[in-house]
Amino acid sequence: MSLWVIDKQAMAPFVAKLMDDYRVVGPLAKGSQFAFDEVEDPADLRLDYNTSILPPKKYFQPPEERLMTFRRNGGTTVQPIVEAEPTVILGIHTCDLHAMRVLDEAFTQGYPDAHYTRRRRQAMVVSVECLEPCMEHSFCKSMGTLTADDGYDLHLTDLGAAYAVDVGSDEGKALLERFAEARPAAEADMQQLNKVLGAKWPRFPYKLETEVDELPALMSQSYESPVWEELAEICLACGQCTIVCPTCFCFDVYDEVDLSLQDGERRRRWDSCQLDLFATVAGGENFRESQAARLRHRFMRKGRYLRKKYDALGCVGCGRCARSCPVDISPVNVFNELHQVRA
Amino acid sequence: MAENGRPKVAFFDFACCEGCQLTVVDSLQTHLELVEAVEIVQFREAMTEKGEDYQIAFIEGSCTREQDEARLREIREQADIVVALGACAHIAGVNAIKNVQPSLQDVREYVYGDKWEQYDSYAARPISAVIEVDAVIPGCPIDRFEFLDVVKKLLLGKKPSVPDYPVCVECKLKENVCILETGGTCLGPITRAGCDAIYPTYGVGCLGCRGLISNPNENAMMDVLEEAGLTVEQLMSKMTMFNAYEPAHIGEAVASPAEE
Amino acid sequence: MIESVVDVAQEESVYLPQMAQLLKIEQMTELEKVFTLQLPGGRSLGNDPGQFVEVSLFGIGEAPISVSSSPSRSNGTFELCVRRVGDLTNALHGLEPGDVVGVRGPFGHGFPIEKMRGRDMLFAAGGLGLAPLRSLINQVVDERGAFGRVIVLYGTKHPSEILFKEDLKAWEERDDVEFHMTVDRGDEDWTGNVGVITTLFPEIAINPRNTIAATCGPPIMYRFVLMEMQSKGIPETQIYLSLERRMKCGVGKCGHCQIDQFYCCQDGPVFTYAQIKGLEEAL
Repeated sequence: MSLWVIDKQAMAPFVAKLMDDYRVVGPLAKGSQFAFDEVEDPADLRLDYNTSILPPKKYFQPPEERLMTFRRNGGTTVQPIVEAEPTVILGIHTCDLHAMRVLDEAFTQGYPDAHYTRRRRQAMVVSVECLEPCMEHSFCKSMGTLTADDGYDLHLTDLGAAYAVDVGSDEGKALLERFAEARPAAEADMQQLNKVLGAKWPRFPYKLETEVDELPALMSQSYESPVWEELAEICLACGQCTIVCPTCFCFDVYDEVDLSLQDGERRRRWDSCQLDLFATVAGGENFRESQAARLRHRFMRKGRYLRKKYDALGCVGCGRCARSCPVDISPVNVFNELHQVRA
Repeated sequence: MAENGRPKVAFFDFACCEGCQLTVVDSLQTHLELVEAVEIVQFREAMTEKGEDYQIAFIEGSCTREQDEARLREIREQADIVVALGACAHIAGVNAIKNVQPSLQDVREYVYGDKWEQYDSYAARPISAVIEVDAVIPGCPIDRFEFLDVVKKLLLGKKPSVPDYPVCVECKLKENVCILETGGTCLGPITRAGCDAIYPTYGVGCLGCRGLISNPNENAMMDVLEEAGLTVEQLMSKMTMFNAYEPAHIGEAVASPAEE
Repeated sequence: MIESVVDVAQEESVYLPQMAQLLKIEQMTELEKVFTLQLPGGRSLGNDPGQFVEVSLFGIGEAPISVSSSPSRSNGTFELCVRRVGDLTNALHGLEPGDVVGVRGPFGHGFPIEKMRGRDMLFAAGGLGLAPLRSLINQVVDERGAFGRVIVLYGTKHPSEILFKEDLKAWEERDDVEFHMTVDRGDEDWTGNVGVITTLFPEIAINPRNTIAATCGPPIMYRFVLMEMQSKGIPETQIYLSLERRMKCGVGKCGHCQIDQFYCCQDGPVFTYAQIKGLEEAL
C-alpha cells in the first residue's frame, strides 16, 4: 500500500505506546531460544530472533482454551466462551505468515470457528522480513515462504539504522499513524530497501531437490514408499513435530468438572496425529495403527492433503519440527529422500 | 459409583516412602471439597480410625514380600475399585532397582546389614502383578491434580484413564526449551505424560517415574541418549531407575547397543 | 492493560450444543439401546438419512452418533441407536426418560435420496451399521412408489444382536420389499440363514445399471460387500457407504477423522465408492 520508515530509536517508544492500548506480544529470549510472549519492556523485544519454539498460532488457537462452561444444577445450562483480546503481534516471520493462511482457511471454511476467528480479527500482525537464514533446519526459500506480499498489517525490513515499514492494511496504517513516529519513505530509503532485499536471497540455500509445486504429485506417488517404515524405526512418536508446526491445528475436546460434579468447563487442547490413539474410535478400532502410517499421514498432510483442501501447502519450511525432533527427522530431507527413491 | 452417596474410601501402603499419601493429605487441605465428596474410613497417615467397610481403595507401594500378597487380596476382596497410587504401586518404581542387581542377597545385606534376616524381601512387583487394578495414578510422587481428576472420574462413573502420550507433548505445550536440544538427557519421549512436564520445566531431564507409554520406541531412545554421551552403564541406570520391573523389555533395549 | 474480553453468546459457537430431552429409551440388545429425543419446542432436527449428531453429556464428553430415524417419520423427534462401548455411551445408557443431553448437528453428508428416486435400491447392513441405514430404508419405504425394487440384506454376528426387530418384521411382511437376513453363528432357536452377509448376494438378481446400493457395517465387511456389489455390475458411482472415523468435532476442524484430504465428518460420513476408491486410507 505505502512505504514508511521508522528510525530504530523510535521503535521502543512505538512499542511502548502500543502497550497502552493493546496486549503486545513478540519474540523474547527464552533460555537459549526464543518464544513469543507478552512484552513488558520494549527493550526485551528481539526482532533479530531466529525462530520461536512455538509459532504465533498460539495467539489464535491457544494450546488450551475454554469453549464453554456448563452447570447441571436445576436444569442444564451452557454458556459459550469466546475469549479474545486486542493484540499486536510483533515480529512474525514470513514463513509463519504463510502458515496463518492455512489456519485461516481451516477455521473459516464450512463452519467458521468463532473462537479462532474472533481472536484472529482482534490481532494486528506486524511481520518482519528475514535477511539472514535463521537456523540450519529452516528451508523457507525452498517452500516459497522467504517473503510475503500480504497477510500483514505492517511489515518491517531492517535497513540498518531504520526499519522500512510496508503498510498492508488500513488498520496497519492507522496503527502507524496513531502510535509511531514514522515518515514516508524517501527515494534513498527505497534504494536502501531494494539493496537489502536484493542482497538477502543468495544468502539462503535452496534445499529441496525438486520444485515445491511438484510436492503434491511426489507425495501421491510415495504412499507405498519404504521410507515410512524406515522413519518409523527411529521416530519416537513424541509428537513435538506437530505441536511446534505452524500449520498444524488438530485438537482434542474434553470436559472438566469441579468436585460438585455438577459444574464444569468444556475445553480443547492441541492434539497430535503422531500419538497412538489419535485415530482410535470408541469401539477400539485404530484407523492408523502403526507409526509408519502416522508418519505418512503427517507428511501427506504437509505435502499434499492440505494443498488439496485449502490450496496451500501444509509445510512452510520454518524448520521447527526438524529442530525439535530428537532423531533429526526433517521434512526437507524426507521430501528429498522420497524424490530420490522415485527418481 | 452413585453420584448422590459419598463413597467410602480407604488408603493402604506397602513398600513405599508414603510420599504419595502425603500428597493426598496435602490435597485434602488445598481442596476441602474432597472431604465433602468422599468419606475416608481408613488412612493411617492421616487418622487413627480404621474402618474396614470401603468401596474405593487407594494403594501406595510395591509388593515385596509374601505376606503383602494376602493383604492385597483382602483389600481387593472388599473394594469395588482399586487404584494404584504412585509409581511403586503402578510400576514397582525404585523398589524394583533391586530386581536388576546381580544378587538379591547382596542387596539385602547392603541395606539391612547384619540384620538382613529379619527383613523379608523378594523381587518388587507392582500391585497389578498380584491383584486386578481398576485405575492408576502414576508418578513419584503423584500429582495432586491428577489425584483430584481420578476421584472426580470415579465419582462420575467414568473409567479413569491416564494419558497415553509422552511427556514431550506437555513439555512442548509449555514451550520449554528441549533438554535434549541443550545437550542434556531426558526420558520424556517415551515416558507417560500427566505431570505437566515438571522436570524439564525446571531444566532437569525426565527420569521416567510415570512409566513408559504403551508403545515406546526404546531402541531409538537409547540411540538418542547414547548420542548425548551416556555410557551403557549410565543408560541402564537411567532406564531402570523407575522402570526396572520389566527388565526383559529394558534389558533387551540396553543390551543391543552394548553388543554393537 | 486491557482486560480480557469474555464474550458470551454474541457469536455463535459451532461447539455449543442445544439441549434435547430423552422421551423414550428402549433396550434393544444387551449392548444397544434406542433413544428417542426431542429438541426444545419439538423443533425438527432436519436431518438427511445417514447424517449424524454429536451427543454431549456434560462432564463426560461428546461422541458422534448416527441418526437412525427417518426424516419422513420425525414427528418432532429423532432416534439414536447407541452401543455401549465407551465413557459417553456407557453414561448415556445410564440415563432415564426425562433426562437432558446436549446435541449438535445434524452434520455431514448423508445419503442423497434425490439421486435415488426412480431407481432400484439394494441395502446391505452389517451389525450396528443398520442404525444409519435404517433411516434411509424407512424413508424409501415411506416413499415406496418413488422407487423401483427394494432389497434389504442384513447380517449380524448372532441372533441376540439383531437390531430393530419391528422394522425388520415390517419390511419382511411387505410384498414390495425383498428382505434377507443372516447371522454368522446361530443358536437353537435360529432357523434362518447362517453365514456372513456376502452369502446372501448369490440369492439376488438385480439390474445393476438401475440399482443404487447403500451399505454400512464394520470396516472388515466393506471389502467383501464391495466386491460382491461390483461383481454384480453396480457402477462405483452408484454404491454409497458410510465410513466410521473419530469424528470428534463434527465440523471439519479437529482433524481426527481425516481420510486423505477429506474430513469424514464433513465430506462424509457417506461417500460413493468412486469417491474413496483412490484414497489409500479409506478402506
